[in-house]
Amino acid sequence: MNFFGYGAIESVEILLDGSDKRKKVRHKVSDSKSSEMCIYYDGETVSGAVSVNLKSGAKLDHKGIKVELIGQIEILYDRTNVHDFTTLTKQLASPGSLMQSKVFSFEFPHVEKPYESYFGSNVRLRYFLKVTVGRRLTDLTEELEFVVHTLSTYPENHSSIKMEVGIEDCLHIEFEYNKQKYHLKDAIIGKIYFLLVRVKIKHMEVHIIKRESTGNGPNMYHEDDTIAKFEIMDGAPVKGESIPIRLFLAGYELTPSMRDVNKKFSVRYFLNLVLIDEEDRRYFKQQEIILWRKGDVPRRSAAKGIEESTQRFGA
Amino acid sequence: MAEKNVENTEEQERLLDEALQVVKMESFHMKRELDKNKLMDGLKHASDLLKELRTSALTPKNYYELYMAVCDELRHLQSHLSDEFQKGRVVSDLYELVQYAGNIIPRLYLLVTVGVVYIKNKPEAREAILKDLVEMCRGVQHPLRGLFLRNYLLQCTKNVLPDHAIDESEKQEGPPALQHSIDFILLNFAEMNKLWVRMQHLGHSREREKRERERQELRILVGTNLVRLSQLEGVDVNSYRKIVLNGVLEQVVNCKDAIAQEYLMECIIQVFPDEFHLQTLRSFLKACADMHPRVNVKNTIIALIDRLAQFAAREEDSGIPSEIMLFDIFSEQIANIIDTRSGMLLEDVVSLQTALVKLAFKCYPNRVDYVDRVLEATMDLFGKRNMDSVPNGSALSSELYNLLEVPIKSYNNILTVLQLQCFAPLYEHLDYESRKRIGVQMLVNALEHHTLLPSAEQVNSLLMLVSPLIQDQADQPTDIDMDDFSEEQGLIGQFIHQLYSEEPDQQYQILNKARTHFEKGGNKRMIFTLPAIVFSAYKLAVRYKELSDEDERWEKKCNRIFEMCRAVINTLCQAEIAELPLRLFIQGALCASELQFENHESVAYEFISQAFSLYEEDITDSRAQLAAVMLLISAVERCRCFSEDSHAPLRTQCAHAASRLLKKPDQSRAVAHVAHLFWSGQITEGDGEPMHDMRRVLECLKKAIRIASQCMESAVQLQLYVEILNKYMYFYEHGCTGVTMELLNQLIKKIREELQDIEGNEESSMIKVHFENALEHIRNHQQSGDGQYSYEGITL
Repeated sequence: MNFFGYGAIESVEILLDGSDKRKKVRHKVSDSKSSEMCIYYDGETVSGAVSVNLKSGAKLDHKGIKVELIGQIEILYDRTNVHDFTTLTKQLASPGSLMQSKVFSFEFPHVEKPYESYFGSNVRLRYFLKVTVGRRLTDLTEELEFVVHTLSTYPENHSSIKMEVGIEDCLHIEFEYNKQKYHLKDAIIGKIYFLLVRVKIKHMEVHIIKRESTGNGPNMYHEDDTIAKFEIMDGAPVKGESIPIRLFLAGYELTPSMRDVNKKFSVRYFLNLVLIDEEDRRYFKQQEIILWRKGDVPRRSAAKGIEESTQRFGA
Repeated sequence: MAEKNVENTEEQERLLDEALQVVKMESFHMKRELDKNKLMDGLKHASDLLKELRTSALTPKNYYELYMAVCDELRHLQSHLSDEFQKGRVVSDLYELVQYAGNIIPRLYLLVTVGVVYIKNKPEAREAILKDLVEMCRGVQHPLRGLFLRNYLLQCTKNVLPDHAIDESEKQEGPPALQHSIDFILLNFAEMNKLWVRMQHLGHSREREKRERERQELRILVGTNLVRLSQLEGVDVNSYRKIVLNGVLEQVVNCKDAIAQEYLMECIIQVFPDEFHLQTLRSFLKACADMHPRVNVKNTIIALIDRLAQFAAREEDSGIPSEIMLFDIFSEQIANIIDTRSGMLLEDVVSLQTALVKLAFKCYPNRVDYVDRVLEATMDLFGKRNMDSVPNGSALSSELYNLLEVPIKSYNNILTVLQLQCFAPLYEHLDYESRKRIGVQMLVNALEHHTLLPSAEQVNSLLMLVSPLIQDQADQPTDIDMDDFSEEQGLIGQFIHQLYSEEPDQQYQILNKARTHFEKGGNKRMIFTLPAIVFSAYKLAVRYKELSDEDERWEKKCNRIFEMCRAVINTLCQAEIAELPLRLFIQGALCASELQFENHESVAYEFISQAFSLYEEDITDSRAQLAAVMLLISAVERCRCFSEDSHAPLRTQCAHAASRLLKKPDQSRAVAHVAHLFWSGQITEGDGEPMHDMRRVLECLKKAIRIASQCMESAVQLQLYVEILNKYMYFYEHGCTGVTMELLNQLIKKIREELQDIEGNEESSMIKVHFENALEHIRNHQQSGDGQYSYEGITL
C-alpha cells in the first residue's frame, strides 16, 4: 500500500496473455490463504499488458514505467535474507507525462524458470511480475504472482526399493516399494513381508514425511512435517504374512523433491514405515523417495482407472 | 480404543450401545449428505461410522451385533451408489478415492462396498476388482476384525460371482470365470481360516477355554466360504474334485488346528452334495488320516457314513452307483487312517468300525461277508494292540458292545449273526457284563422275531455265544443280583422253545446238544433251564407218536427221549431240589402212559418209582410232602398203561405213603384222596374200565374219618369232616353204591353236633358255609327229583 496514495492513478493492473485459458492452480499465499494462479513452465514466454488507469481528467508525471519478472527466495526466519535469483526488466515508458489511461504490453521471451514455486514453513520461492511507476516522491508498484511448475521425465522402469530390516530375535521384515521415484499423481505400491515376529504388533502405518532444510553448514535448519499417516495393517501378523501397500499420492499436498535450490534450501520426502506394538513401542524405518512432477497426462479411461487403482505389488 | 476386551456384561452392553449410537448418528449424516448429492461428504460419514468397527473392546458376540448394524448402513450406501451409476452420474475414480481413508478398517469396508458397485455396473472390471479386494484384505491381521471384514466381502460378492457360463454372450469366458470365482473364495477361505486358527494362539493360556468358546461362536463365518463354494452351480463333480476339494483340504490339513479341522471336515460333508462325496471318498478320507492328533476323526467319518447311508436309503432306486465300491473304499481308507493315527483310542477305532458295519448293512444288506470283514479287521486290531480283555465300564467296552449289537439289531435274525465268523472271537474280548448283555440281546431278539434255531450246530454255536447266561464264567462277579439272574434264566427258559426243527430227529439232536450246555449251568441255573428241555423233549415224543405211520423206528426214538429225560431229571436232582424233578418225573410218566410205545409201561413205572424215591428220600417239609403225595396219587390214578402187576405196588405205595404222613389232617386228606385211586384208576387188564373197587373206596373214606376224629383241634376236625362229606357225595353221585344214606346221615349229624359246640369265629363260619353249600347241593338234587342220586332219605 502506498503511503502517499495513488495520486492521479486510479489503478495499475497486470494482465497475463491468455490467462483465461491458462491452467491455474490454488497456491498458498499465506499460512491461511491461497489464491488461484496461472501456471508457467520453464522456458515459457511470459507476456501480457500493464494497464495504467488514471482518474478522469487527471494527469500523471512519472519518471518512467517499468515491469520486472522476479524469481525470489525468502527465508522466513531471516527477513533480511531475501534473494532474487532472477530479475528481468522491461522499460514500458520513458520519464514523461501521461495524459490519459494507457495500456502497455510487454513480453519476456523464453524465460528461464529453474525452480518450482514453493510455499514452505520456513522458506518460500515465488515468481512475480512487478510494475513500477516512478514518481517524484515514492514509486508506485503493483505485483502479480504466478506459479512455476517444473516438469521432469524419468524412465518408466525404475528400480524398486527393497530392504530387509529388523531387530535381532525380535522382528525381521522385508519391505519393498515399487519405485524410488514417484510422480505426484503416482501410487506407492509395495508390500511388507514378515520374516520373524516376536513382538505383538498392533498396527502398521506408512507416513510420508516432508523435510525442508534451510541454510548451510552449521546453520542448517530442518523442519519435518508429516504429510500423510496411512494405516496399512491392523492386528498382529505372523511369520510369512505379506501385507500389501497401496498409497495414492494425488490426494496429498506434495511438491517435487528439491535439492539444494539455489544453495538456499532443499525439500526431501521420506516414507516412514512404522510398526506399533501393544505396549505402544514404535519400530520404524525411514526411506527417502524422490517426488517429481509429471507433464499433464490425458484424462484416463475408466478401464485404465481400474487398472491403476487396483495395482498390487508382484501382481 | 480400549485394548482389553471387557468381559463384564454391563460394561459390554454400554460399549456396544455407545458404538451403535455413533453408527446411528453418522449414518443419519451420511444419508443426508447423499440425499444432497454430496457424495464425498457422505463417504466421510460412512468412514466415520466404520471407525466403530476398529474396536477391540467388544466380545465376538457384541462385535457381531455392531457389524450387523454397520452392514445395514453400508447397504444403503451401496444402493445409493448403484443408483448413481445407473443414472450415469459416475463419480470417476471412486474406487481410488475411498482408498485415501487413513484407517484400514473403514478403507477396506468402503473399498468392498464400492468395488461391488463397480462390478455390478462394469462387469469387465469384475476379475480385477475381486482379486484386488481379496488381496487387500490381508491388511487386516486382527483375527476378529479380519474375519468380519472378509465375511463382509463374501456377503457382498454373493451375487456377483459368476457361477457358470451365464449366457451365450459370456460364453467365451465360461470356465475361466468360474475358475476365478473358485479361486476367489478359496483364497478368502484360506485367509479366514488362518485368522480363525490364529485366535487360538493369542492371549493367556489360562483363557484357553474362553478362547475356544469364542472360536466356536465364530466358526460359521469361516464355514460360509464353503457354503458359497457349494452354491456355485457350475461346479461339477470334476471341478469339485480337481479344484474345490483339493483346495479346501489342502488348507484344512495344513492349518494343523484341531477345532478348525473338526469343524471344516464336518462342513464339507454337510454342504456339498452326496454325489460329489461318492466320487471323492478317497481324497476326503486320506485327508482324515492327516488330521491333527487331537481331532477325533471318527466323528467326521461317521458323519460322512451316516450321510451316505441316508443317501442310499433315500435314493432307493438308483442307490449307490455300482461302479463305486463304497464299502471297499471306506474299509481300505479307515484301515489306513487307523494305521496312520497310532494315537487313536481303541474305542474310537471300534466306533469307526461300528459305523462301517452300519454302512455295510444299509447299502449292502445282503453282504454278510462285508460285516464279517469289518469284525475281522477289528479283531486283528485288538490283536495288534494286545487288547485281550476289555475292562468293564470302559468306553471301549461300550463301543465294542455297540459294534456287536449292530448285526443283532440290523439283521433281526440271530441265524445271520451266527454266520459271522468273527462275531464270537471278537465277543470273547468283552467283559462279563457286556457279554451277558449281548447274550440277552440275542435271546430277546430271537424271541421278538420268532427266530427258530433249526440245527444242533446252530444251537451249539449260539449257546456257546451266550454262555455267560448258561454257565459260570471265570470273570463273573461274586455277588449277583438275584432278580436279574432269575429274569435272565427265565428268558433262557423261554428261549429254549425257539430251539426247534421241523425234523424230529434234528430236534432230538438239538435238545441233546442243548442239555449238554445247560447241564454245565450249575444248580442255580438248571432249575430254570432243564425243565424246559424236559418239556420240549416230551413234546418231541408226542410228535414222534403222531408220525408213527411214517417212522417205523419211532418207538425206539421215544424210548431214547425218555432215557434222555430221565438222565436230565436225575441231573436236576443233584441240584438238591426234589419237588421239581418229582413233578418232571410225574409229567414224564403221564406222557409215556399216553404214547403207548413199546416199553412205555416200564418207562412210566420207572418214572413214577423215581418220583416215589425222591419223595421218600428228599422231601422233608410236611407241606411239600402232602403236595407230593397228592400228585403221586393223582398220577397213578391218571396213568392208564399199568398192568395189575405194576399198578398194585404203586397203589399200595400210595396208600402207604398217605397213611404215613406226619400230620393227622394231612393223613386224613391224603387217605381220602387215595379213594379216587381205587375208584377211577385203570389197569390194562380192565379193558379201559375203571377199577371201581368199592370196598377199598369205603375203607379209605372211613379211615379218613377215623384219622380226622383223632385231630385235637375241633375246627380242623370239622373241616375234614366236611371235606370227607364232599368225597362221599362225589362217590355217591359217581355210582358208588356202597355210599349209603345212612352213612351220609351219620356224618351230617356228627357235623351238626360238632358245629354247635364250636366257638364262633371266622374260621368256623367258613366251615359252616362250606357245609351249608354241601347240604344245598343235596337239596337241589332231591328237589330236581330225576330219580338217580336223589339222596332219598337224607335228613337235612
